Amino acid sequence: MSGEESNAELVAALLRIADLEVRLSEADDTLNAIRAGEVDAVVIGGPDGQLIYTLENADRPYRLLIEQMQECAVTLGVDGTILYCNQRLSTLTGVRREALVGRHLQEFVAPQDRPVFDQLLTRGSLLGRSAEFGLVTADGSENVPVNMSVADLPIEAGTPDLLCGVITDLTRSRKRTDELAAANQQLATEIDERRRTEDKLRLALDAADMGNWDMDLLTGRTTRSARFDQIIGDVHLGKWTPEAAAQLFVDEDRRAVADAFASAIHSGIIDLEKRIRRRNDGALRWVQIKGLTFYDEGKPVRIAGVVSDVTDRRLIDEQLRQAQKMEAIGQLTGGVAHDFNNLLMVIAGSLDLLESRVGGDAKTIRYLSTARHGVERGAKLNQQLLAFARRQDLRTESVDIGALLCSFENLLDRAIGETITVTIKDPPALLHARTDPHQLETAILNLAINARDAMPHGGTLIVSTGMRTVRSKTAALNNTVAGDYVVVTVADTGSGMSTEVVSKVFEPFFTTKEVGKGTGLGLSQVYGFAKQSGGFVTIESVLGEGTSVSIHLPHAEAPSTSIDERAPAREVKGQGTVLVVEDDDDVREIASSMLRELGYMVFEADRGNKALTLLDSGAPIDLVFTDVIMPGDVGGIELARAVKANYRHIPVLLTSGYTAQRFQTDDMDEGLQILRKPYNRVDLSLAVKSAIGGER
Amino acid sequence: MSSDIATPGTDPGRYKLCLFVTGSTPRSARAIENMHKICDENLQGRYDLEIIDVYENPEATRDLQIIATPTLVKILPEPLRRIIGDLSDKERVLAGLNLAPLGAANNRLK
Repeated sequence: MSGEESNAELVAALLRIADLEVRLSEADDTLNAIRAGEVDAVVIGGPDGQLIYTLENADRPYRLLIEQMQECAVTLGVDGTILYCNQRLSTLTGVRREALVGRHLQEFVAPQDRPVFDQLLTRGSLLGRSAEFGLVTADGSENVPVNMSVADLPIEAGTPDLLCGVITDLTRSRKRTDELAAANQQLATEIDERRRTEDKLRLALDAADMGNWDMDLLTGRTTRSARFDQIIGDVHLGKWTPEAAAQLFVDEDRRAVADAFASAIHSGIIDLEKRIRRRNDGALRWVQIKGLTFYDEGKPVRIAGVVSDVTDRRLIDEQLRQAQKMEAIGQLTGGVAHDFNNLLMVIAGSLDLLESRVGGDAKTIRYLSTARHGVERGAKLNQQLLAFARRQDLRTESVDIGALLCSFENLLDRAIGETITVTIKDPPALLHARTDPHQLETAILNLAINARDAMPHGGTLIVSTGMRTVRSKTAALNNTVAGDYVVVTVADTGSGMSTEVVSKVFEPFFTTKEVGKGTGLGLSQVYGFAKQSGGFVTIESVLGEGTSVSIHLPHAEAPSTSIDERAPAREVKGQGTVLVVEDDDDVREIASSMLRELGYMVFEADRGNKALTLLDSGAPIDLVFTDVIMPGDVGGIELARAVKANYRHIPVLLTSGYTAQRFQTDDMDEGLQILRKPYNRVDLSLAVKSAIGGER
Repeated sequence: MSSDIATPGTDPGRYKLCLFVTGSTPRSARAIENMHKICDENLQGRYDLEIIDVYENPEATRDLQIIATPTLVKILPEPLRRIIGDLSDKERVLAGLNLAPLGAANNRLK
């Protein structure tokens, strides 16, 4: 037993020895390792916890890292004393490292940033804190923006903490930020510029009253401006493709539109002017589409362009064409009337002469009277022709329209007949217009007669006067100028006219009346007269309801002087020698005969230059009576000037069937008198007497 | 040794190792490299290795009585062994891990 026990004790002892050997060997190894420098840190336990002491060379990688890095590393005492710093801080501040340690970092903080820095030094959370401030170089030449992050490093109880800081130079990042800001600014400017360009384009399009559109042929994506949608009257147009475009137009034009788009793809251009049925109100509008095709490597990729509503322009064009036609007709009519005047002159003059020669038996007198009546009607007709041609002599003055209409009422009543009620409405105020009162009377009478004929079974005729301010658009449509107009409207409740008839009513000799009932010159006179007065005529007519014609005359101030009284017409005889210059033989003969009968001596010339030759020969002439329009170098006006220049004492009397022609009137022409053709003996006698008498 | 395989619960042959280092000092870095090499060559798939930075976690040194770094500690299989140094002496490391021929230890025990 005791042997076993001692055996067991021995084994235990051996085991313990083995264990101790192992531990001893471990301790040996540890000591050897430390001695051999195979460790880089030792751990020392203490009441405050395990402390790690690294051996000197263990710090190397950290030191290297710290020295290499582009940030400044610094340890500070709590008061900001620099205890350690890396080379970078030395470089940044421009102070040698040896001189830097021991100084206060505050010395290098920009004064205005001191509060920020002091706040940073104040002990805070262990996680660290950071702030931005300016770091001033030692020579004060630079203020470098930096960010400093700080962490507290506790050392030992009772010993003040250290502050570990990393200072980052923000110059580069600031520069980047600045560059970025500058780039941003430039981008903003460019965007702004672009927007302005777009605005300008939009303004230009708006001013031109155009919409714009863009069709991408590849993606099918399209853009349209608001004005575009307005023009077609649809803001919800889904697609804007060549097919959709064609659908907008009226049936007759659709094919042409589709063809235009199809050919635009090859030709590179589209320009069409067709009719659409506007979506929102169904109005028929003329729309112009213009655009260009854009190609990418020869392949058409998009078509873009503008759209405008040209309905108004077409209307104006139409009006202009109409006006030009009327003008041409006017020219023709004027020419005819001129010749016609000469014929009437011959007839009237001959009748006057005949009357004094043939016996006074009743039949002869009646025939002569009938013939003279015919001449008078012819002359009146001719006056209307001239009125239309605007070649009549318009005696414009400021006319009180209300007063004129009032004095005219009786005459109108008589002309219209009993089945029609005539109402002349007083104007809302005293209105004056610049016009020829007699022509205005004729115009109103013409309109009244038309109205009467449109109301064979009776009705109402209303003549009213008002004031209207015409704006430039309306003025352009009527080929006149903007301003205030006095409007005399003659309205009836008659049969009315179709649009087709209305478009032709102003043309001379156009009439819907039975043969023999109308000359077709009534409305032509109204038209010509209004134009010549500087106004215009508008007409509104509804079939079966009636017609209303408005004469627009330029508004005028009230006249300062009253209209002078016309002298009663009576033939006056005279004496003296008259030189009659007239290219038309018949007219010359008649004029000469009449003058002789009136007691004058007569010389004749059929050309202006012959008249001058006669004067130069020293013939005793008291008056030169000359036609205005004659063939050859010397017309009536030139003759008058020559006479005025060389024979101041000889007066000149002009005569013309064309009297409204604008003669050039300078000082020398003042005082020239004109006798309108056709004239009768009474007219002639008065004019000649006045010309000779006025000169003496 | 019988006690080597007597750990209950887990895989009896599995090694649990701790390597204490000090940040990224040269010796610590070398120790980490050497450790990985030895484990890959000898303990493939049979070990759990934990590397503890004593700067980060100084208190971890207390329980295992670490007095210097780098130190490798074999926690399992028992008995606990500490090997100090950068582990460049492979023989010594293998012996410490009981992976070397057991001759020396057995002799000692006899």
